Amino acid sequence: MQEKKLGDYIVTVEKINKTFPNGVCALREFSTRIRRREVVVIIGPSGSGKSTFLRCLNGLEEIDSGSIVIDGIPLDENKKNRWEIRKEVGMVFQSFNLFPHKTVLANITLAPRLVRKKSNDEAAEMAMDLLRKVNIPEKAESYPSQLSGGQQQRVAIARALAMHPKVMMFDEATSALDPEMIGEVLDVMKNLAEEGMTMIVVTHEMGFAREVSDRVVFMEDGYIVEEGTAEHFFTNPQKERTKLFLSQIL
Amino acid sequence: MLQKKSKITTLDVFVLLALLGALVYVVYQVKVKLNYNWQWGIIPQYLFRYDAESGKWVSNYLIHGLLTTLRLSFWGTLLATILGTVMGLLRVSKSLFHKMLARSYVELMRNLPPLVIIFIFYFFISDQIMPIIGLDDFLRSSSAGTQRLFETLFSPPQFASAFISALFTLAIFEGAYITEIVRAGIESVEKGQWEASHALGLSKYHSMRHIILPQAMQRLLPALAGQFISLIKDSAIVSVISIQELSYQGTQLMASTYLTIEIWITITALYLVMTLTFSLGVGKLEAYMAKSQA
Repeated sequence: MQEKKLGDYIVTVEKINKTFPNGVCALREFSTRIRRREVVVIIGPSGSGKSTFLRCLNGLEEIDSGSIVIDGIPLDENKKNRWEIRKEVGMVFQSFNLFPHKTVLANITLAPRLVRKKSNDEAAEMAMDLLRKVNIPEKAESYPSQLSGGQQQRVAIARALAMHPKVMMFDEATSALDPEMIGEVLDVMKNLAEEGMTMIVVTHEMGFAREVSDRVVFMEDGYIVEEGTAEHFFTNPQKERTKLFLSQIL
Repeated sequence: MLQKKSKITTLDVFVLLALLGALVYVVYQVKVKLNYNWQWGIIPQYLFRYDAESGKWVSNYLIHGLLTTLRLSFWGTLLATILGTVMGLLRVSKSLFHKMLARSYVELMRNLPPLVIIFIFYFFISDQIMPIIGLDDFLRSSSAGTQRLFETLFSPPQFASAFISALFTLAIFEGAYITEIVRAGIESVEKGQWEASHALGLSKYHSMRHIILPQAMQRLLPALAGQFISLIKDSAIVSVISIQELSYQGTQLMASTYLTIEIWITITALYLVMTLTFSLGVGKLEAYMAKSQA
């Protein structure tokens, strides 16, 4: 991948804490900043707070303290701000969460029509462009249950992109897929990164991390153990814990 | 799927056969031991009678009663579904007030005998509310066409307030059960669906209307249809406030003809025709839904 220019900071997270009602502490004084066009890969053992971090960024989980600012908008009590952020941050889930009662096309056009107030034709045209981008234009009239897991996840990516988000988050987007389908989803994500999308990716795909990411963040117990460029991270990790984790998964 | 459908049909047939067997046994016992004087010949004229004036066959008491029961059930289900959906939405609302309102409604209705509810509503709606609305006066002064329309859709104009109170009572009573069906349906939709619509920036209203409720409704359609059958059966209870539905006509005819057994067997058959027809329909519906979901 050729060298790309990163922009100013689009996501600023300062000292956020999150403890679940059952007493599990998912995030501790967690801080990070993410630049425009940056691809950040978050790795770590399960229960380390990776998914919780993503879910806090778009308000799916409430933070207990700290601050989150996305593209100049603070995620606070103000409902309008929260809604604005939800529109600007796209999310792809491990379990796809497509709407099973709607066709692929309707899945993609729903939010643009209702939230962005696009006309039916305009939304449909954009949806078809996106389906071509994720290589399944022929499935526009199918229902999610008629698609393979990889196809469903690509539709889910197209659905999130249809809102023209400024940041895309992937929460273990390939973890629920059969091995032979992981590649097709990763390819779509790679293309997206090359187009300059700001991406926060929680994944266990180390190949993707090495190849595409600008920065790798290793989390455990709700805080950052180590972070750095992919090259630094995989060839020359500093912390013992990181070395141990990498030796277990590589 | 096909298996499920045929299972329900077999069960229905089995129940029907068992009922017939029991019936034959009872009839035999009555005939042999009671020396009962069967007069089946009199019954058909209460279904249809020949009108000498117009020279045509017209429906009589029992068919009138059957139609009234169907009208009550149809409108009652419609109203109960609307009420149940609204209350079901309140039931899953985050607002404590909404939740308590819907919960009180459900608990009150489910923990009172329907007979008591009927009397309360009848005397309240019929005596207090109806004169205020002025439905009777409106019908009396309206054109013959309007009156006929009202009679076709609901009841003869002279029984309007009783019919409307009965309708509301049934709707409010059944609505409590539908509330719980709707709540269960909404709660059965996976959390991921809410999260996906949230992440796309959909408002709560849009999520509910376009994502959650359609899926919930699809799942609870069979349960709702079952509730419709319940309503057909429960509608018999409004005979106590002189709504001229099937059971009421039965008691009236019994009083005037003393053909107790013949009349109630006929009434039983008529109820079964209605409920079993719908029950078969529900079976078909379930099979269809299972197929379309696959």
